[in-house]
Amino acid sequence: MRTRLIAWVLAGLLLGALPAAAHAILVESTPAISATVAGGAIALRLRFNSRIDRARSRLTLIRADHSTEVLPILPEGTDDLMLSKVTLTPGSYVVRWQVLAVDGHITRGDIGFTVGAAP
Amino acid sequence: MNLLVDLFGYLSIIIHGLTIVAQSMTLGGVLFLIVLALPLGSTIGPKVAEDTARIAAWSALGLIVCEAATIALQASVLTATVDLSLPEALGASSAVAGMVKMAAGAVIALCLFTLGITAPRPLLLAAGVVELIAATMTTHAAARLEDRPILLAAAFLHQLGAAIWIGGIPAFVSALARVDDGFGWRAVGARFSRMSMVGVGCIVVSATIMSVLYIGSPEAVYGTAYGVMTAAKAAMFLGLLALGFGNYRSVEALRADPNASVKRMKRFAEVEIGIGFSLFFAAASLTSVPPAVDLTVDRVTWQEVVERNTPVWPRLVSPQHDALAIPALQAKLDAEAAVHSTKPAPAFVPGDGVLPERNAADIAWSEFNHHWAGVFVVLIGLLALLNQAGLRWARHWPLVFFGLAVFLLLRSDPEVWPMGEEGVFESLRDIEVLQHRFFAILTVVFGIFEWRVRAGGWANKKAQLVFPLVTAIGGAALLTHSHQIANVKDALLIELTHTPLALIAIAAGWARWLELRMDGRASRIAGWVWPVCFVAIGAVLLLYREA
Repeated sequence: MRTRLIAWVLAGLLLGALPAAAHAILVESTPAISATVAGGAIALRLRFNSRIDRARSRLTLIRADHSTEVLPILPEGTDDLMLSKVTLTPGSYVVRWQVLAVDGHITRGDIGFTVGAAP
Repeated sequence: MNLLVDLFGYLSIIIHGLTIVAQSMTLGGVLFLIVLALPLGSTIGPKVAEDTARIAAWSALGLIVCEAATIALQASVLTATVDLSLPEALGASSAVAGMVKMAAGAVIALCLFTLGITAPRPLLLAAGVVELIAATMTTHAAARLEDRPILLAAAFLHQLGAAIWIGGIPAFVSALARVDDGFGWRAVGARFSRMSMVGVGCIVVSATIMSVLYIGSPEAVYGTAYGVMTAAKAAMFLGLLALGFGNYRSVEALRADPNASVKRMKRFAEVEIGIGFSLFFAAASLTSVPPAVDLTVDRVTWQEVVERNTPVWPRLVSPQHDALAIPALQAKLDAEAAVHSTKPAPAFVPGDGVLPERNAADIAWSEFNHHWAGVFVVLIGLLALLNQAGLRWARHWPLVFFGLAVFLLLRSDPEVWPMGEEGVFESLRDIEVLQHRFFAILTVVFGIFEWRVRAGGWANKKAQLVFPLVTAIGGAALLTHSHQIANVKDALLIELTHTPLALIAIAAGWARWLELRMDGRASRIAGWVWPVCFVAIGAVLLLYREA
């Protein structure tokens, strides 16, 4: 009996393999992906399909020269929102998000956008 | 750091699958003990209860280990990527729920290891309920914005049903082996049939609620990864129901004749464990994709499915390696670097999170690989059928697996040595390469075992079971395999082909298992089923297209 049980547990151990896919997905964002926005103070707003744990999530700004800056995540908003503020000069930027969904899944993604001249 | 998050996603699925197995066996074992083994003790003897208590106790220990691994993995990613302290990372609601699961598992393990079958039943049941509530708080339902209460209730019911039925089967198989008279078998079989019906009822009700709220429309079933995986789960569920019905009939036969054979019931129950565990891993992989209702763009249409699966003549001539996207880009980078006398940048760094660009030659390369793999597998199936029909020389059919393995190792990842410039160990950072290597090794393993069984007259019963087990495991692994393709639609269209392949492989593995473990007519039927499954797998591969 014990041998049979061990065989089944081993079979279970060998099962399965999968790369990371998305669980918490980005539903909409401001700026939108590939959008062009006016330079100056920019309000970032990311909305997800799940309730997220903001205190354990991160927003990173990546500039065209590959330098990075961690953006503050504001405490306001409903459970599916991540808000931030940043002042940007004209150029290309990527906001990389990494979120912990309340069910324990960690996912990430990029929002690339362009900043034009200030109004 | 991106690699860490990718690996987290990869490992968390495997550990999650193991967690579901351990959780279901723990709760299923406890319920089997309380509802069946102890009340029927006077008919079936105390040994069944003792065996069941041991199964539940060890499963609870397994649950603690799996849950600890999940929490450790999540905490390590959070501390490394979000600059959190360990206590901050452990404060995540999912980590707290995980620790509650561990505590409940510890209570069950401690009670059963120390007190055995005299462990207080209310305490075991209470710990089980706490564990199930905590587990529910780590499902999709916990993070939903809408319909949260009803989805939480459905998730609770779904896991409970899986535990009662599939989680109880190992204890059922053990009990059938322990009991040795018709009255005992009938008592165990009849009581477990009723328990299983309750479990199936829980699953059907909860699955209906979740299908409506997570999938939402028939188009989403084939149009999203969530829908396709749910359909695969439903197919396996129907297979389990058919086997369960077979067991129900065996119990009825025992009612009429206490001396009726229970061999079929025992063997079907073994197969139910295998298919049930495969289903658990499909369930684990479902947690890594967003519910279908949330995926409003990038869905596949029915026309696209039909167009992609319309048969065309297989591609049996390979495109040139230099025409592939990565070698072509590397050649360009090398030329640019030569002009500036600098070191050329690599065209693709495995595991850095940036997906390689694909061109028409890449697609042709992949189709060529699938089509030739199809030729190999059809050959295996046909030779096995000829062998089954009595043609002696055809018994060497497992040798074809070696050819297939060498072909896969050489061709599946053209950027890797010997075809490409990447080293073998460096390439293993890429999850897809890792999976391809795993499949190639599986192919060699079952080729060796089965050839020795067939040609060498290897009478070792356990060695004979390697081929069916590895085939079924390969099918289950394929069920969770996906391609790193940036285009979500293309990735799904490929998965639509791979999912039937996985299901047929699981069917082939367990059919061969039944051929070996049963006798008479049932064994003979199973003996024809699995080679036909291999021919079907080969045919699907031959018709495979990526554009």
